[in-house]
Amino acid sequence: MKRVLFTVLTGALTALFVLALAKDTNREWTRYQRKFLGTLDRAERRGLRGGIQQILLDDLNRVDRCTTCHVAVDKPQLALAEEPFKAHPGKLLDWHPPETFGCTVCHGGQGIASEAKAAHGDVPHWEEPLLRGPLVQASCRSCHGNVEAIAEHVPLLIKGMTLFEEKGCYGCHAVKDFGQTVSQDLTEVGSKSYLLLEADFEMMRPPHDRIHWLKRKLAHPRTLNPGVPQDRLPEGEEEVFPSAMPHVGLAEDEIEALTTYLLSLTDADYPASYVTPPGPRPAVAYASPIEHGRAVFERYGCTACHGPGGSGGRMNFNAGLGQEVPPLLYVKAYYGNNVEALKTVIREGRQPAPRQDVTRPNPPLYMPAWKDRISEEDLDALVAYLLSLHDRVAPSAESAPADVASAPPADVP
Amino acid sequence: MTSVKQYVKKTKVWKSIFRHDFADSPRTRLQRIFGNVFLHLHPVRIAKDAIRVTYTWGLGGISFYLFLVLTVTGILLMFYYRPASALAYRDIKDLSFAVTLGGFLRNMHRWAAHLMVVTVIFHMVRVFLTGAYKPPREYNWVVGVLLLVMTLFLSYTGYLLPWDQLALWAVTVGAQMAANSPLLGNEGPFMLPFISTQNDARFVLVGGTVINDATLIRFYVLHCIAVPFLFTIFLAVHLWRVRKDSFSLQTGEKVDVWPHLVSREFVAALLVTVILFVWSIVMEAPLEAEANLNVTPNPSKAPWYFLGLQELLVYFDPWIAGVVLPTLIIVGLMAIPYVDTNPKGVGVWARMGWQRVGPTRLWVPTERPFAVSVFMLGVIMWFVLIFIGTYDRGPNWEWYWPWEPWSYRRLTKMTLKNLPNLWGLVLLGAYFLSGTPVPKPVRDQMAARGGPKAPGLASAALHVGLGLVIAAAIFIPLLTAPDPDYPARSRYPTLFESLGRSVNAPMVSLLYGWVKHVGPAAGYAMSGLVVLAFGGALGALGIAFGKFKDRLYDELGLIKYSVVMALFLMMMGVLGKIMLRLLFGVKYVFSLPQFNFNI
Repeated sequence: MKRVLFTVLTGALTALFVLALAKDTNREWTRYQRKFLGTLDRAERRGLRGGIQQILLDDLNRVDRCTTCHVAVDKPQLALAEEPFKAHPGKLLDWHPPETFGCTVCHGGQGIASEAKAAHGDVPHWEEPLLRGPLVQASCRSCHGNVEAIAEHVPLLIKGMTLFEEKGCYGCHAVKDFGQTVSQDLTEVGSKSYLLLEADFEMMRPPHDRIHWLKRKLAHPRTLNPGVPQDRLPEGEEEVFPSAMPHVGLAEDEIEALTTYLLSLTDADYPASYVTPPGPRPAVAYASPIEHGRAVFERYGCTACHGPGGSGGRMNFNAGLGQEVPPLLYVKAYYGNNVEALKTVIREGRQPAPRQDVTRPNPPLYMPAWKDRISEEDLDALVAYLLSLHDRVAPSAESAPADVASAPPADVP
Repeated sequence: MTSVKQYVKKTKVWKSIFRHDFADSPRTRLQRIFGNVFLHLHPVRIAKDAIRVTYTWGLGGISFYLFLVLTVTGILLMFYYRPASALAYRDIKDLSFAVTLGGFLRNMHRWAAHLMVVTVIFHMVRVFLTGAYKPPREYNWVVGVLLLVMTLFLSYTGYLLPWDQLALWAVTVGAQMAANSPLLGNEGPFMLPFISTQNDARFVLVGGTVINDATLIRFYVLHCIAVPFLFTIFLAVHLWRVRKDSFSLQTGEKVDVWPHLVSREFVAALLVTVILFVWSIVMEAPLEAEANLNVTPNPSKAPWYFLGLQELLVYFDPWIAGVVLPTLIIVGLMAIPYVDTNPKGVGVWARMGWQRVGPTRLWVPTERPFAVSVFMLGVIMWFVLIFIGTYDRGPNWEWYWPWEPWSYRRLTKMTLKNLPNLWGLVLLGAYFLSGTPVPKPVRDQMAARGGPKAPGLASAALHVGLGLVIAAAIFIPLLTAPDPDYPARSRYPTLFESLGRSVNAPMVSLLYGWVKHVGPAAGYAMSGLVVLAFGGALGALGIAFGKFKDRLYDELGLIKYSVVMALFLMMMGVLGKIMLRLLFGVKYVFSLPQFNFNI
C-alpha cells in the first residue's frame, strides 16, 4: 500500500513538475518567434536573438517587452504583412527611437507583460488600455505641450480640443487651471482609476475600460447616471437627479475626437528632457466689441448650458422657467436698462438656481461666479454681446439641438 | 558495479559521513533515527495506535512541512524581489512574465501560506478534540497558540509585499485596527497623554503615518527574517516538547519509527506537494492594480483569515472588535488547559451521544460535553464569520447573498437604531448575572430551610426571571422607546416603527407586519406572546444549565469558574449581538460615544 502510494505520488509529482516547466517554456511568444523565424532564410536570421526582448526605460519607469512578439517593428526589411510581424508605419520611429521611448508611452497597454492579452491590457486590474487606431494621438500631448506645432500628425486630437472648447465643456469642467467647478475636474480624467467608475460600469456592457466609458459618457451622458426618482427611494431619502450633463447630440466622429482629447488628460509625469512646454495662446484682434464678446462667451463655455448663441433649450432638473437653463435671447428685455445688474449676476453667479418645486432638491446646474475668471474688459465685451442677442432670429433646429432624452443605447439595463 | 559500491563504502570519506549500515535490521532501524540529526526529533519506537492516520491526520507534521515549503519558495522568491514601492509591483509582474517558473513559484508560496493557516487551525482543533493539551502538555498548547498567532502574522506581513491594491488595503484594515488600540492607539479610547500619530501602535506597525516604503521594508524584514526567526525558536520548543512528553495516545504495541512513521510522513509530504503543484498550475495567485493610496477599493477586505474580525467591526467599535476580542480569543485559547480540569478524553477523539442535560436529553459530546461544545461553537463561529465576510459582504459592506450580484447603486440600506442605554444596561446586567452559580453552602442552607426541592425551584425562578428581563429589555424599547434619532420631532413615535421601515431586519418587519395587517391590538398581543416565548426559552436554557453551572463551580472554584464563565458569556454575547443586529436591526446595545464605548 505505502509502496504503491509512494510510487504513484512520486510519479505524479514528476509529471506535474514537467507539466509546469513545459507550460512555462512553451509560452505564447515562443510560438510567434518560431513562426517568424520560419519565414526567414539563414542570412536573414543572422544577428537575430530569440527570447524575451525588452526595452528598459528607466527615465519613464517602464519596461516594454512588446518587441518579443512584434519582432519586426523596427526591421522593415524583414517585416511581414500580418500582425504581429508588421513594421511600424511612417517615420514615427525615426523621430521617436524605440530605445528612448519604448512602445507603451504612446500606445498604452501593459509593456511588462509577455502574453498578448495581458500586454494589450485586456485583463482585469490593468488600467492602461491599448490605444487602438487614431486614439493613439492622445499620447502625443503627454510630451508635446504645444500640440499645435504637430497639428498635421494629430488631427483627431486637435479636433477634440477644438470641440471641447466649442461645446462649452469649460463652463462646468476645469482642466488644469482653466474652467469652472460646477462639475468634475477633468485634469487627469485619462488616468481616472477604474475603482471610481464601478457604479458607471454597472450601467454598461463590457468591455469595462476607460475608452468605452468616455465614449458612452459623451454619447449618452444620462444613461450612466440616471438618478433615483422619489418613488424608488426609502422614506426620508432625498431624490437624486440624473446627470446634469447636457445631451448635446455629438456625432460619431466628434465622440471619437473628444475621447482622444480626454484620454490625453493624464497624470503622466515624464522627465523634462522628453517634454516641450505648451505655446502661448495667440492674441486675437477682434473686429468689434460684439465679436470680442462672442469669443469670451465661447471661450468660457457658456454655450454648454445656455446653448449655442444663448439659444437655450438645455435641461436643468427642477429649475424654474420650465426645468431649463435660461436662454439668453431676452437678456436685453430684462437687463437692457440695468446693465449693472446683469454684470452682478455674471460676477456673483446664482447658487443655487431657483427651484420650480420647492419640495424637491436644488437643480444640479447653477450659474457659477465668474468674477475671478473673466476680466472686466472681457466682461464689458460679453455684456455687449449678450445685449446684441435679441436682434437674432429665434433659434432654428440646426443651431439648438433639443436636449430631450434621446433613444438610449441598446445595452442600457 | 557491486565492487565499486563495496569499495566506496570502505573509503574513509564514506565512513566519516555515514556511520552505519543501511541493510534493514532492528539495529539499523534504531541507528537511522538516532544517527541522524533531523530524524532524531522522533523517538526510536512509538505506539502503533498513535501513528494511525485517522488519529492525527498528520496535521502538525503537514503544517511543519508547509513551513519548510514556504521557507524554500520564499528564499527563491527573495532572489527576484526588491522591497521598494517603485520596484516591488514590477518585480512581481516580472515573476509571472519573465522568470522561468517564477509565476509557479509565487503561486506555490501563496497557496502554501493559505494551506498552512488552514492546517494549523485544524491541528489545533484536532489537539483539542483528542484532549492532547491536558497535563503534562499544557505549556505546549500555549506554545502552539503562539505559533498559530505567528502563522497568521507571517501571512499578514507577506500580504503587503506584492504592493498591489489588494495588499495595500488589506494591510490598511489591519493597521487601522492598531490605530484603534486602547491606550496606545491614536484613535483608540483611553489614549495615553504622550500618544500621537507619530508614536502610536499604528506608527510602530507601519513605520510612519501612511503606508509607504517604510512599511514595505518593515513588513519585508518581519516577513522574511524576524517572524520566521521567532517562529523557528518556538517551533523547536514545540517539537521538542512533543518528543519529551511523548504522544497523547499510548495504547498499542510499540513499533519502529523507521520505517513505520517516517514513511507515513514522507507520503504525507508527497501528497501535500502534489496538491500544491496542481493548485499552482491551475490557479494564479491574485494580483490587482498597483497600490494607490488615493483610491480605495469598495469593499476593502482583509486577508480571509482576518475577515471574521473585520466582520466583527460591523457589530462593535473598532477597538473592541479589532483589539479586545482578538486578545480575548488568544488569551482564552491559552487559558484552556489551565481551566479545563476534567482529566477525561486524553488520547481519544471526542464522541457524540445522547446525554441528560438538566431536564432534557441532548445529542452532545459524551465525555467532555461542555468543553467540546463551547470550543467547537467558537471554531464554527470563527469560520461562519469568515464566510460572511468573504461571500456575504459587498460594496459599502452591505449584505449580499452569495448568489446576488454586487451593485454600487443599491438603495436599500439596513435601518439601524441603538437601544436606549438604560435598557441596554438592564439587558447586559441580566445577561451576565445569568452566569452566577449558587455555591454549595448556599444550596445546603436553602435545602435546610425550605426542603430538598427549594434550591432547584429558586434556581429555576431566578433563570426564568432573568430570561424574561432579557426578553423585555430587547422588546420593550423596540416597541415603546421613542426613536433616538428623532427625539424632538418624533417622526416615528417608537423605535419599533422607525425600524419597521427597514425590510432588512427580519424579526422587526415580521412583528411590524402583524401590527400593520392584523391591527394594533392583536399585533401587540402577538408581539407580547413572542416576548414571553423568547424569555421562557431563555429561562428554560438557564434551568437546563443551572445544575451544571453549580457543579462546575464546585469543581473549579471561584477563579477558574469566573474565567470560564466570563469567556463563555462573552463569546455567546458576541453571537447574541450579531443576532440582535441582523434580526432586530439593533446597532448598539449600550453606547457611550464619548468613550468610544459601543457594544
